[in-house]
Amino acid sequence: MTLFMTFTVLGLVLGAVYAIAASGLVLTYNTSGIFNFAHGAQAMIGAFLYYQLQAVWGVPTIVSVALMLLVVGPLMGFLLHRFVMGGLRDTAEVTKIVVTVAILLGFVALSQWAWDPQEARMSKMFFGADSYVTVRGVTIRYHEIICLLAAAGIAVGLRLLFTRSRMGVLMRATVDDPDLLRLNGHDPERVAGLAWALGSTLAVLAGILITPVAGGALEANALTLLVIDAFAAALFGRLRSIPRTFVGAMVLGLTSTYLVAYAPSEWTWVTNLRDALPMIVLFVVLLVLPQDRLRGAAVRTRERYEVPTVRRAAVWAVVMVVATVAFRQLIDDSSVGTLILGLSFAIIALSLTVLTGYAGELNLAPVSFGAIATIVAFHSGISGTGLAARMNLVGLVAGVLAAAVTGALVALPALRLRGLYLALATLAFGGFVSSMVLRETQTRSWFGHDFAIFPNGNLIVSPLAVGPLDFADQNTFLYSAAAVFAVLGVGVVALRNSGYGRRLAAMKDSPAAAAMLGQRLVRLKLSVFMVSTAIAGLGGIFMSMALTSVTSEHFVYVLSLSLVMLTVVGGIGYVSGALFGGLLAGGGFTLVVGTFNELSIEHPVHAETFGILSHSFLVMTALVGIGVAQNPSGNFFEIFHGQRTLARAPEVRYTALAVTVLLYLLAYAEVIGTWTFGILVVVLWQALPALGRALRPDRLLSQDELAARAATPLELLGVDTPYPDRLGERLDRELGLPARHRQVTPVQSVVIAADHSSRPEEGVRHVTV
Amino acid sequence: MTSTELTAPVPAIDEDPVLELVGVRAAYGAIEVLKGVDLQVPAGSVVALLGPNGGGKTTTMKVVSGLMPTTAGEVWFAGRNVTGITATEASRLGVCSIPEGRGVFANLTVRENLWVATGTGARLADLEEAAYARFPRLADRRGQLAGSMSGGEQQMLALSRALGTDPAVLLLDELSMGLAPMIVSEMYDIVGGLAAEGISILVAEQFARVVLPIADTAALMLGGRVVKVGRPADVEDELSTTYLGG
Amino acid sequence: MSLSEVLLETSGVVVRFGGNTAVSDVGIDVRAGAVTGLIGPNGAGKTTLYNCITGMQRPNAGRIVFDGRDITRLSPGARARMGMARTFQRLELFLSLSVRDNVRVAGDIVRANTRRRVDVEAETDRVLELTGLTDIAHLDVSDIPTGRARVVEVARALMTQPRLLLLDEPASGQTEQETELFAQLLQGLADDGLAVCLVEHDLPLVMRLCSRIHVLDHGVLIASGTPAEVQASPAVVEAYIGAEVVA
Repeated sequence: MTLFMTFTVLGLVLGAVYAIAASGLVLTYNTSGIFNFAHGAQAMIGAFLYYQLQAVWGVPTIVSVALMLLVVGPLMGFLLHRFVMGGLRDTAEVTKIVVTVAILLGFVALSQWAWDPQEARMSKMFFGADSYVTVRGVTIRYHEIICLLAAAGIAVGLRLLFTRSRMGVLMRATVDDPDLLRLNGHDPERVAGLAWALGSTLAVLAGILITPVAGGALEANALTLLVIDAFAAALFGRLRSIPRTFVGAMVLGLTSTYLVAYAPSEWTWVTNLRDALPMIVLFVVLLVLPQDRLRGAAVRTRERYEVPTVRRAAVWAVVMVVATVAFRQLIDDSSVGTLILGLSFAIIALSLTVLTGYAGELNLAPVSFGAIATIVAFHSGISGTGLAARMNLVGLVAGVLAAAVTGALVALPALRLRGLYLALATLAFGGFVSSMVLRETQTRSWFGHDFAIFPNGNLIVSPLAVGPLDFADQNTFLYSAAAVFAVLGVGVVALRNSGYGRRLAAMKDSPAAAAMLGQRLVRLKLSVFMVSTAIAGLGGIFMSMALTSVTSEHFVYVLSLSLVMLTVVGGIGYVSGALFGGLLAGGGFTLVVGTFNELSIEHPVHAETFGILSHSFLVMTALVGIGVAQNPSGNFFEIFHGQRTLARAPEVRYTALAVTVLLYLLAYAEVIGTWTFGILVVVLWQALPALGRALRPDRLLSQDELAARAATPLELLGVDTPYPDRLGERLDRELGLPARHRQVTPVQSVVIAADHSSRPEEGVRHVTV
Repeated sequence: MTSTELTAPVPAIDEDPVLELVGVRAAYGAIEVLKGVDLQVPAGSVVALLGPNGGGKTTTMKVVSGLMPTTAGEVWFAGRNVTGITATEASRLGVCSIPEGRGVFANLTVRENLWVATGTGARLADLEEAAYARFPRLADRRGQLAGSMSGGEQQMLALSRALGTDPAVLLLDELSMGLAPMIVSEMYDIVGGLAAEGISILVAEQFARVVLPIADTAALMLGGRVVKVGRPADVEDELSTTYLGG
Repeated sequence: MSLSEVLLETSGVVVRFGGNTAVSDVGIDVRAGAVTGLIGPNGAGKTTLYNCITGMQRPNAGRIVFDGRDITRLSPGARARMGMARTFQRLELFLSLSVRDNVRVAGDIVRANTRRRVDVEAETDRVLELTGLTDIAHLDVSDIPTGRARVVEVARALMTQPRLLLLDEPASGQTEQETELFAQLLQGLADDGLAVCLVEHDLPLVMRLCSRIHVLDHGVLIASGTPAEVQASPAVVEAYIGAEVVA
């Protein structure tokens, strides 16, 4: 009985913290319509800052807590709403999700910058772990009592806020009908801003409370994933009801502790199961949620993509492979691996082009599907031993199929629901893979077969060998990866140009209209999700082969999220966007951060500067992601638009091509460095539309633009402006003259015009301005 | 019947209108709904905006209340050009708008609905007093969710906002929608009372006959334009043909 | 007026939202080879009834029979595959596709569903020609005027080779000339045997095109009959203009 009571108390405490986190999430989601994926990251930042104040700087506990809850939390929420969330109106759900994901990544990067992850930090309980009371043999620490009291206080406080305060009533009214709130003289944005301030504060509080409960060590990633736990709890209330969210949080907390207490001792995987519990609960709840009503798209969003023809895509595919071969000649052997990794990620990113760019759905854990594919390929497709071991085609195909089937299983419960739920289901799947599948390092009996899913936590993935192609040779691997990406890229474009692709576009643009034409939406979504996860699986296997040996660290959620974000930044509707996102996520980070590290070793004096640069590069990337709010179609949309105008002046393009070749030769001859070459080429092609307009205005500018450029003597500008009655009346009114409704006697036109062709029209007075 | 016959039917010449629309155009995406609306609401008068569905009445109301941006033209309010102001600003300037259908927050109680209405500066106590005095049924239901009340009671609650906040202009959109004729005429009695207190009222209504008795001026909207403005009696004659196509 | 077969029939349909009854005990029918009108003042329940017919709203009571089969509990997609098609009042076009692809994708969907070797290209050309959209087929659908966009929705619906076409305010946003062409198109479709149901505020158009008209008011069916009968009905006049208020 004492055991039961002890674990009940522990479960309630855990539930209490989940409840605090979840109520903040529900609050901001309902008042602003934005599901805040960075909620856990805010909790994490809160926990670290509190640690800094209280443990490092020695600020008294009570003062630290007050600072965190009264200043940091509200301020963080207010700033987020003011500068980021407010700009997300009229954007697709994908954009909203990606922006909060970028904030999440930014917070993680910031925290790792400020607090070295290698260093252990123990967060202490309030009043220490030794202050406790004992009730009937059950030990309850003061900290735990505080958690319970805080949750109870928040439950009561939110109830009072929503029913007894005008601001709370306004928050509920915003949920009901923001326009009607405006008609009542309120500003829904201000209400939402306050809700964000409150929601962030709740996140910060949850972050401070949970760390000692969950073991004491401050760990950025675990805290960031608190958003999944909170989300699972919030789903009990369908993301709407706060009381039911509290119930869900308690169910989650209690199940978690009972599992540890009562599971048979031979279930060694119970700890992992416990970590994965919120994700499992999430899937179960998704299964029982009722289907969304079919609604029209009605609002037009700001995202724009153009579809290239298959022929154009094929030309670019050849260009891309040739460029890869050419670029290989410039770099040393040690960098080839990075480039292969980048291309592997680009293949994974292609899965997002299909899924998100074409079908409007989101997968937040593409790399985790790559992990599944890798594991299956490893178990089914390695032949030979030692250095002679090779992956065969069977393994590759089996891995890809496994990813597709897993994709179907993950997506099935969420497909009936809105895109947000699918995004969350995939994020939860990513968490599940990390905390359960990749921790299956021991040999166990699986239906009579003894084997380990992820043996020793480290898979040696041998290179692929198909016929004459042997990926053990780096160059073969590189060119093959480029070719696979190029072929898949053309395939993806061909898919978009087929009837299937048009059906995807139709479903994305208006599910209601597509359904009323007879389209089976769930089936179509399922099929595209499978296609997408198959591609992600292929990319994942390539990635693992490029790394040779993979651990669970290589499949962390941050990597998936970075990839998703960078692909959206590049332009998720484009194959080139996938290339950009993949190269940057897979190769770019390693390259840039690595270069800065090397530089700091070479120039120890500036080590600190280079350290800052490399950290700020990571944070800047997140800022670019947040910038998606301003430019939701991605960077390539602008670039393509500019490049397309150059079609009318091909000589500009040929010149640029010649310059590129020249630069290449200079780099090949080692007159200029590879970096210099890369930067110059990027700058040249980026600036080309502007250069072209400056050099060939007659070809590239429209008639209007040319006319605007035509020299007009400055003194003539604005001399002859029509002066309608309306303006006269307004002038009269503002001067208080009673001339308004009198018959306007036509005033003698006062025309001082250089342009003699303009004739004063009837009833229009002309004056000098 | 209120004494409409005695007041001047045509917009007053010497006085500035409280509300004026000049060449207003507005569109939902590519669908242009208002194609140059000219309309005046003289101070203290009731203007009925009539016409079949799809003529642009509701959009006109949305433009005036600030919920819908214009693509061209101007909106003047009490001598100020207010084109492009937000609904929040408009309501604080004294434009009280009761939108089509549901003018209440369904998931808020009666009392909470009135509480939200204090956004324009009124006090909750005054609002409650005014509302419950006029509609005793609301007093009995002050703790009930607005969405669970009958359509008539919801409309009473919506109208209460106009009673307690002392607006300069009241915009009423399809007050009669979905209501039984008895309740509709009860509503318009109250609107007539507000008009007598000097509030300028613009009312969009399909049920021409319930609103014409209290209107000083009637304006007929067709295809996104005001096609006729005149005495209620004159406009009434045209209605049957306009609506049913002869 | 032809006495052709009844393709769609609703009986005793009731829809309640909270305390309000939006549609109460409504029974209408739509016949093949004719245009049937469904009219009524704002808030009369036309859209709600349409949503029941297309499956986007489940009625609290009543039955909807299409082609002799009870479809009350079928999904919108299943109804579409049985030969029901609709257009939308607030235009639900596929904004990332061209005019031609908007029409073509409906054929793609049919082909995927039936696995029949339909020549989608040829069918698209035929429908574009029929609806007079050939000259603007290459344009982005977001760049065309509303009047033409409404025709695109009809063309898209026709690609599914429906037997029942439900139109929701198709004339709004059309110029007089466009409406005239549109009326001819509808008449032609009906003459070819299609059942057309029309919710429309342009009553002169309704009166001209429809052989039968159902009038809803406050969720109740107050009149059914020929245009002349409906126009003469005092209940209809009252519904539209309001009863004389007795002082």
